[in-house]
Amino acid sequence: MARQTTSLRKYALTRLALALPIVLLLLTMVFLLMRVAPGDPISAALGGRLPAEELERRREAAGYDRPLVVQYVEYLGDVATGDFGTTVSDNRPVMNLIAQNGAATLELTLTAMVLAVLVGVGVGLVSGRFRDTPLDFGGRLFGIVIYAAPIFFLGFLGQLIFGKYLGWLPTSGRASPVVSFELDTPTNLFVLDAIIAGDWSALGDILRHLILPATTLGLVIGGVFTRLVRVNVLQTLQGDYVEAARARGLPERNVVFRHAFKNALVPVVTVMGLQFALLLSGAVLTEQTFNWPGLGSELIRYLDNRDYIAVQGIITFVALVVVAISVLIDFVNAWVDPRVRY
Amino acid sequence: MEASRWLRVVALASVLVLGMAACGEGEPAQPEAEQGATIIHGTTDPWQSFDPAGSYDLPSWNIIQNVMETLVTIEPGGDTPVPQLAESCDYDDPQTYTCTLRQGVTFHDGSAFGADDVKFSFDRNIGIEDPEGASSLLASLEEVEVVDDSTVTFHLGAADSTWPFILTTAAAAIVPSDTYSETEVQSDQNVIGTGRYSVAEFRPGEQLVLEAYEDYWGDPPANSRVIVQLFDQSSALKLAVEQGEVDIAYRNLTATEIEDLRGQEGLEVIEGNGTEIRYLVFNVEEEPFDELAVRKAIAMTIDRQAIAENVYNGTVEPLYSMNPVGLAGHIDAFADEYGETPDVEGATQVLEDAGLDVPLDLEIWWTPSHYGDLSADEYTEIQRSLEESGLFNVTLESTEWDAYTEAAFTGQYPAYQLGWFPDYPDADNYLASFYSSDTFLANGYSNREVDDLIATEKASTDQAERVAAFEEIQRIAAEDVPIVPIWQGAQVAAVREGITGVEETFDPSFVFRYWLVGKAA
Repeated sequence: MARQTTSLRKYALTRLALALPIVLLLLTMVFLLMRVAPGDPISAALGGRLPAEELERRREAAGYDRPLVVQYVEYLGDVATGDFGTTVSDNRPVMNLIAQNGAATLELTLTAMVLAVLVGVGVGLVSGRFRDTPLDFGGRLFGIVIYAAPIFFLGFLGQLIFGKYLGWLPTSGRASPVVSFELDTPTNLFVLDAIIAGDWSALGDILRHLILPATTLGLVIGGVFTRLVRVNVLQTLQGDYVEAARARGLPERNVVFRHAFKNALVPVVTVMGLQFALLLSGAVLTEQTFNWPGLGSELIRYLDNRDYIAVQGIITFVALVVVAISVLIDFVNAWVDPRVRY
Repeated sequence: MEASRWLRVVALASVLVLGMAACGEGEPAQPEAEQGATIIHGTTDPWQSFDPAGSYDLPSWNIIQNVMETLVTIEPGGDTPVPQLAESCDYDDPQTYTCTLRQGVTFHDGSAFGADDVKFSFDRNIGIEDPEGASSLLASLEEVEVVDDSTVTFHLGAADSTWPFILTTAAAAIVPSDTYSETEVQSDQNVIGTGRYSVAEFRPGEQLVLEAYEDYWGDPPANSRVIVQLFDQSSALKLAVEQGEVDIAYRNLTATEIEDLRGQEGLEVIEGNGTEIRYLVFNVEEEPFDELAVRKAIAMTIDRQAIAENVYNGTVEPLYSMNPVGLAGHIDAFADEYGETPDVEGATQVLEDAGLDVPLDLEIWWTPSHYGDLSADEYTEIQRSLEESGLFNVTLESTEWDAYTEAAFTGQYPAYQLGWFPDYPDADNYLASFYSSDTFLANGYSNREVDDLIATEKASTDQAERVAAFEEIQRIAAEDVPIVPIWQGAQVAAVREGITGVEETFDPSFVFRYWLVGKAA
């Protein structure tokens, strides 16, 4: 036991140490990509609308006339201290933007991930357990169709059916305009804020708004889980230990649930980490489709405005989140499956 | 067994969700007006800035006109400036304009409005000279003189009869001198004016909440709160108004979406006078547009009716003058000169008389996003009508707005698409802006007679004399054809049943006056 703990700690420290160069590489890539684009952020946002002298004055004031290396070191220092700059187009601290709109994206992606795991794993388990039955066929079809369908297509379909024709669910925003104004939002996570405020009618409204976008995003990721879990269930059901359990005379239900399914779920943890990056990119499309005021919507808005500072800040933040989640998932994976540590 | 238990859980969850959904449905509308109503306006128009010194776009100006006030204003349905923050204004002479200020007016922060604020507001706008701002509109102002606490005098560099109109624009809105910076554009999180509404909350890119200002000096608004909800896509806005998430969908539903909403139960499509126009600019120094005959032939061949009907489903009207219908001095100069419908025979004759070989190659530029998705169809229709005549081969080119304006306004495009909203509802804003020798269009057009007529109308305070000048400018411009007017758009909103007052605010000034909008209880 003591040996295991030491091993986990060592693994965690190694993994953390390895994450640092990845972060550095990511930050360097973001910085360089933003500079590869023609001109500097000030010229991009305001070029053609300011006299040349004024443009030059603003470039100098923002430090874009300095050598690239100096700007790079300063950028790294700023990111290390949590300073992502101020947007050029509307003079807004990027950290405020991340706090406000990032919370919307977090709420959407977390709910989508929960839905993805519930639906994806559920369908995958049933499909694997009842191999080559109509249930399996249905599950496989679901997995393939959902995975292959573009997010915006699923989104529009959901909007049309549940919003327009059935009128059951709202199709845009995080909450009704009045609720989003009147609700006190200390965390910017509306579900949490409504619970903290004890405002159940607002919570109902927020959940109704969350259902369609979270389901759309969740289902797409869920398709991946379905296919993965099905294959794993099929493999584990043919494993020696499952045969041994059966030979010991254990009821089939115990064999399947206690021995086969648990082991079939281990790879899901790994894939969950990888899917989170996909989830964040999917969120950009989902947010556009459902008018969800998250980081994805803001990213597109600032791209339209050619506001490189905002774009750089958002991309840097998202990249850091993906790295952090990947490290976290590795920890969980090592904890769940001791083989990972060796 | 396990599966059936799971199904029961799913069924129960569905019932709960549907139950919550049902709880959200509204009560049937009552005929009486609701006191203290909240109006929710959905739009796809993003804002640039709520500072009069930092914006020159319709959405921002609209908010400024609701939150701040100007010395004079255009009343709903009116076309002449009347006092607002001033008690009276008048010319002392053609270059001097004096206003006596209203007393007892306070800003939203409680500070008193006075002559110093007026001088401060104009001086800072000109001083900041923000690239996104409209300080250029104040170009004729030389100095604002504070005569006493309740009197200001504007000294103009030249006689300018449009000055009272310029004073009605958001660029001339008054801000408090003790809160706003003299050198920087104000943050949108700290917007202060004397208007009927104060800004209660602003979430950039998402939502703006206005609340009725309790100490407002005039009549209170017909509602107590306005929530402006921003949408990325017009399709989402359309669904939101269908579902009752918003009360008013105003700007920018597409023509197809408006048609789809028309006649739906619980919804009403309201159309009103609008002075938004679209036109095609020729660079008269570039081949083949340097030939007057080519420009005339194009003006005779473009099928405006087809554009209005086929592309915009009848939500716009063919336009035959750069001075739109509804403004003083409008005449259908192009219809008078070339007819209302395409005249291919006439166009062929004009080109033949000029000795030009047909078909002529034309390069026309347009921009895909800035004027909405239908621009693509509009220019395909223009291409079709021109090529169908057999007189032209048209190459369409497009690029996005920033690069587009940079190239267009430096004379790099031979012919290009453009649109216009009024700064103020006066023909000068539509004629002087495009036909004077120093026009921002950079299309090389210059006509001394037109310049003289513009100088005349600007210098005159006699409306009959101004109207005569406007009419003559339109006639000359139709003969010279530096620009072809294409269409004039109405203002269109889809509103939920029970919403009142939207019709009243639709007028050529293009100000959406929230204070007129009420809601049945």
